Amino acid sequence: MRFISGENIPELLESFSAGGSVVWAPRELTGSGGTVLFERWQTGDPIDLEHFSSLSAKDVVLPRTEKLFGYTYAFGGGGLGTSGLGGPSVGGLGGALGGAPGEKLVIEPAPPEPPTVLFGARACDAKALNVLDALFNNPEGSGYKDPQYQSRRDALTVITLACTTCDEACFCSSFGSGNAEKAGSDIILYPADGGLLAEAVTKAGEALLAGPLFEETQMSPPPLAETTRIEGLESLEKKLPGIFDDMDFWQRISERCISCGFCTYGCPTCYCFNIHDEMKGDREGERQRTWDACMFALYTQETSGHNPRPTLAHRYRNRINHKFSYYPENQGMILCTGCGRCIRGCPAGLDIRDVLSEALKESSKEQ
Amino acid sequence: MSTSIPQEGIKATDPLRPEPATVLEVITETANIRTLRLAFDDPALAESFSFLPGQIGQLSILGAGESTFALSSAPSRKGSFDFSVMRTGVVTSAIHELAAGDRVAVRAPMGCAFPTDDWKGRNIVLVSGGIGMAPLRSLLFYLLDHRDDYEDLTLVYGARTPDDLCFAQDRRDWEARTDLDFVATIDTTCSGWDGCVGLVPSVVEEKAPSPDNAVAVTCGPPIMIRYALQSLDKMGFREEQVYTTLERRMKCGIGLCGRCNLGPKYVCTDGPVFSLAELRELPDEL
Repeated sequence: MRFISGENIPELLESFSAGGSVVWAPRELTGSGGTVLFERWQTGDPIDLEHFSSLSAKDVVLPRTEKLFGYTYAFGGGGLGTSGLGGPSVGGLGGALGGAPGEKLVIEPAPPEPPTVLFGARACDAKALNVLDALFNNPEGSGYKDPQYQSRRDALTVITLACTTCDEACFCSSFGSGNAEKAGSDIILYPADGGLLAEAVTKAGEALLAGPLFEETQMSPPPLAETTRIEGLESLEKKLPGIFDDMDFWQRISERCISCGFCTYGCPTCYCFNIHDEMKGDREGERQRTWDACMFALYTQETSGHNPRPTLAHRYRNRINHKFSYYPENQGMILCTGCGRCIRGCPAGLDIRDVLSEALKESSKEQ
Repeated sequence: MSTSIPQEGIKATDPLRPEPATVLEVITETANIRTLRLAFDDPALAESFSFLPGQIGQLSILGAGESTFALSSAPSRKGSFDFSVMRTGVVTSAIHELAAGDRVAVRAPMGCAFPTDDWKGRNIVLVSGGIGMAPLRSLLFYLLDHRDDYEDLTLVYGARTPDDLCFAQDRRDWEARTDLDFVATIDTTCSGWDGCVGLVPSVVEEKAPSPDNAVAVTCGPPIMIRYALQSLDKMGFREEQVYTTLERRMKCGIGLCGRCNLGPKYVCTDGPVFSLAELRELPDEL
């Protein structure tokens, strides 16, 4: 076990920064009265390792808005067999969409991401990266490697702070090793007198802990927090399809939902996204991927007016099924780590644990 | 859903990034449907690009956005491909402004194709309405290109009025063929139209193709599909013999973004082609 003293922590972050890494750490927003978020850390910034963050750390691998590629309509270059065709440019959207005669379209991929250190994630945040890897960076499993995600993930070091306390919304003990989960982390930190104990999980973590800011210690880690536990969440994969058509049930449990989408934005594993173009003038721009939320009516709304998930109950049903049935079926993992952010942040007081317990009860009844 | 095609056409390394392409020709089909003939700008890609009937693609006008369409041309035609697009929203309106020479970008092909190999030696009945002919046009070209592999071919294609029927040149060719039983129909009588009049499902019932050793493929407006399925059922077609191709709102086209799923299956990758038997197994969220 290694140890780092409290006063050396800013030094540690500084050393990451000086080595060319972007550093993310939890920080209380000024004047927010206790709202902690993962933010890009700059020299001198305070960090908050005491409070639990309101939003997850997923921005580190899935930014709320990111560039997929840039595009330019440009003259020159030659070599285009069709460049002499001419033709009017597209009007109606305030520019020459489609290019002017003779212009060609150039598409430039987004540049690779710099190395990044995520400091002070919790086990539920780190585990979430592991869960997202199963879809976004898994050529053998999902068959997919997302270039942007993978570029960030490969350059990411995750330093996780184990929780010795929890609040009433935490329920990570319902999943695997809960709080003691090491998947997704390179290093696990434990609170200790005068500083933090540090344990390497990966080779990269081991190399970091060999650095001069850490010393060897005989101290042992403190006991970790035990959260609320719901038994049988794995069984929902097979049970939820049984109550799919029970609209009375879905209506009843989603009654209080106001479709604000906080549960999806705060969630460390919700990844559904939108894609749209952002223009800079009429000759260039970029295509962006942004966070989206399956709780929004427009999410599946079609141009014809048809919506396959027309009511809140349909959308809530999809959210629960995606997390506890579809994702486990397709990727072999539950799309939830029990962080409780959707519970703490819900303005209508909806508690996903109640919903899951009800679903377990209802599906046992119907089978 | 039965034949899953490896997505060779879209970049394995960066599947959300489209390839620049150029509009070769715009064909006005109806007041609100146009067919765009496109070619990839990269000569090697233009040459190697191939797809199977039923597969889809994403057409981008950079700055306006990207939408999903069925590839509507003959898979055997090399060097160019078609999307047939009905003007409905922001992107399709921008697409309708395009002219020959304009620059677009395309990701294709995606999704699974009609299981044409499994259909060899069988009678094929195509039932389509309006813009629903787009994917079936590609399928029909394929079947005609491999005519000896199939028995009787029947196509019933309907629209509200004669002016709403797409693919005029193709229809003339299809009508002239002796190895295709083709009926174009319109909903109600109309001066200048001496062809068949009647709703697509009724016309199919009148023609009454036998369900023996046959498959039926239907695509069109939801209301037409609903009645066509009833008619096919009445005629004795079992769910395993009936295929359709689905449309959903899509963004990524590669099974990630979370919009087009029917339960655990994604229309963009597990579909868009499904047999009725396969759809029965999936949650009813159409």
